[in-house]
Amino acid sequence: MNVKTVDACMQKITKKIPAQLLIITGILVLLLIIFSFFSSRFISSRNLLNILRQSSFIIMTGCAVTILMISGNIDLSVGSVAALSGVTMALLAQSGVPLPIAVMGAVGIGLLAGGLNALVVSIFEIPPFIGTLGTMFICRGIALILTDGFTVRDNLPSNYKLLGHGELFGIPFPIWIMLSIIIISVVLQKKSVIGKYSIAIGGNKLAAELSGINVKKMVSIFYLIIGGVVGLTGAVQSSILGVGEPNIGNGFEFDVIIAIILGGTTLDGGEGSVIGMVIGALIVMVIGNGLNLLGVLTFYQSILKGAILVAAVLLDQRMRKQ
Amino acid sequence: MEENIITINNIGKEYPGVQALKDVSFDIKRNTVHCIVGENGAGKSTLIKILAGAQQRSRGEIELNGIPYNPKNTRHAMNSGMSVLFQELNVIDQLTVEENLTLGMEKLRFGFIRKTEHQDRLQEILFSMDKTIKLNHKVSDLSVAQKQVIEITKAIATDSKVIIMDEPTAAITEGEIAKLFAVIKDLRKQDVTVIYISHRLNEIFEIGDYVTVMRDGCMIETRAITEFDGCTEKIDTGTGVVERTVNEETACKALIRMMLGEVVVTRYTPKEIDKTKVALSLKNISNHKLKNISFDLYKGETLGFYGLVGSGKSEIARAIYGVDDISNGEIMLNGKPINLKSPDKAISESISMVPEERRTEGLCTMLNIRENITLMNMSSVSSRGVINKSKERELSTDYISKLQIACRDGNQKTALLSGGNQQKVVLAKCLNSNPSIFLLDEPSRGVDVGAKEEIHNIIRELAKKGVSSIVFSSELPEVMNLCDRIILLYEGEIREVLVNGQNHDFENILHIVTGGSV
Repeated sequence: MNVKTVDACMQKITKKIPAQLLIITGILVLLLIIFSFFSSRFISSRNLLNILRQSSFIIMTGCAVTILMISGNIDLSVGSVAALSGVTMALLAQSGVPLPIAVMGAVGIGLLAGGLNALVVSIFEIPPFIGTLGTMFICRGIALILTDGFTVRDNLPSNYKLLGHGELFGIPFPIWIMLSIIIISVVLQKKSVIGKYSIAIGGNKLAAELSGINVKKMVSIFYLIIGGVVGLTGAVQSSILGVGEPNIGNGFEFDVIIAIILGGTTLDGGEGSVIGMVIGALIVMVIGNGLNLLGVLTFYQSILKGAILVAAVLLDQRMRKQ
Repeated sequence: MEENIITINNIGKEYPGVQALKDVSFDIKRNTVHCIVGENGAGKSTLIKILAGAQQRSRGEIELNGIPYNPKNTRHAMNSGMSVLFQELNVIDQLTVEENLTLGMEKLRFGFIRKTEHQDRLQEILFSMDKTIKLNHKVSDLSVAQKQVIEITKAIATDSKVIIMDEPTAAITEGEIAKLFAVIKDLRKQDVTVIYISHRLNEIFEIGDYVTVMRDGCMIETRAITEFDGCTEKIDTGTGVVERTVNEETACKALIRMMLGEVVVTRYTPKEIDKTKVALSLKNISNHKLKNISFDLYKGETLGFYGLVGSGKSEIARAIYGVDDISNGEIMLNGKPINLKSPDKAISESISMVPEERRTEGLCTMLNIRENITLMNMSSVSSRGVINKSKERELSTDYISKLQIACRDGNQKTALLSGGNQQKVVLAKCLNSNPSIFLLDEPSRGVDVGAKEEIHNIIRELAKKGVSSIVFSSELPEVMNLCDRIILLYEGEIREVLVNGQNHDFENILHIVTGGSV
């Protein structure tokens, strides 16, 4: 291959990868280098696997929410729906239901919550910010009522932690689940009618409607997909902790939204990428993990997270203007 | 003081692919009501936008009060003494009349709004026009005409010398029109010049002093109203009051002749229509805009709806396509009554619509040409929800060459295409849904002559294949060149049905769609 064709090849590759994705990937690599420089424990394979496992909740849920946000909608209920699903699984397992069925129960509860969001946002036409905020409070309330506000930890079966701690080829189950959800979502986003319709709805809802797309039905489907995925996320989370915790996941919805926005999805819709969200989630988790190893208090981490979010969006806006 | 308040000298304006204004020159005399008329697309709104500072001209000079006038934005134009009364009124319903009038010019003391003697002046101006409006009224309680008065008051209070009124009578009642005209006649005494745009020609003769006729981006003629046949003015020497008598029919027809120019109809060839095969039939359709619309569309026929903006053309298309609700009446498809609630139901009945606004209703600019073309019929390129990209590429390449869409390839974004090519993408999208009934709302608005002819040829080809089309247009040559029958529409009502191919009096047609008697 001569220089010219190599050049053309490179051009083709860089053209296909959006600038936003290149930049955040650069930031992620930079962070990895900086933290491994400061802390020798950071770069160990155990710690990296740990980061991946911690990111898996955000990434799993984020995959589904990205497609929704591309369509110009938002979901604030994912944190409390995950908690409700986890609690449901723990309670079912406690009462002697076989574990696979308990997991299915968690997913079922997630689907119900997704159905509620779909009903409120698509059918009753309540703005998604308000509608899903309502679902968020309702689900948190139900989780607390079901458990009387206490953590479910007694009489859980011995295999309860299997889903969260089991391994295949030395890699924990949650990471396998996360990888499969990422692959399915990328295919959905890039290759399927669902992915295309979400761009069309987010980019120009009126044109989408006049082109015969049933916008209400599509948005309902997006919420249902989120519901199912969040239900599974809650189950995995509960299994990793080994308990059913009704108070878990406060602020989880914002971690998901931060990862998605870092990944180049706009709040207005029409644009976005699942892969970008994955990188965004990793950035958030790497910062948290690295600063923990360095002994920085979580209070400061919160400030940093906020600053990074605003800086990323600012950068994106500036680039768009040019 | 100069006699002319505005001098327009050889101004031109180009949009990508379209020349909207060509060497327009005319003068506007101080303290007159100067009307601008022309068909849709004649260049009126472009001219207004340039005067209002909303858009920049490509070349030419404008002088305001003898000083070169180059507004950078609407704010700048307003400060120079040029105010615009847009159709979409610029008032905030939730505030009071006074809060609206002082909006953006509040006098502050310690950060609080200070009441000033300014209030008295506002009250005085307001009172001179409409005695029923009080400063503390909520604007949401006022009628459209009263809101216009608020805007006019604001313009006078900020010392505007020129007020541009863009179809101010489009949304108000007969009684309110009379009041508005009284206000306009009074503005002359306040040293204000009015530029008046309207489709209703009789209004021009009622309040205008001068009229400028525009056609295809050119200034055709500027003439004093009194120079029209049928217009005479008498000055009562005792009181000094000017009395104007107008023979509306004669005067309007003269004006219409100037607006239309030579209508060239050479491209229509009459064809046999089988009147036993009714494809679509509307019976007494009424809704918020339409009044008892009934017609039959035959198989393979191209039917035209001609009327001005706001005559209800789009509403008919939207009612058939399931976008707008119908309060009364029945739609029959191939002899069977149908009740379509949404576009996806219409598409499944092989009805397809090219919407009026391609940018906001037709295209999804986040998607590229290829993805737009297949958007309406995904099942043609996908199975079980997974898109077959190579099939999609093949299909879109096919349409790109068939409709001669000028682009690099199907991966190009649609946002930067010229108007004509964007419209062809929308056409391809609709054609890909395989319609047997094709609704086209302003199919060639804002596209250049070449693309217009190509779009018309596509519609003619479809008719040969037995597709029934309805063309909704506010351009008379378009319907005359394309359609077998033409229905004239005015204010949501069918006024007349014409069979094409006979010699029609175009002036009479325009007379009917501007509200004249049949």
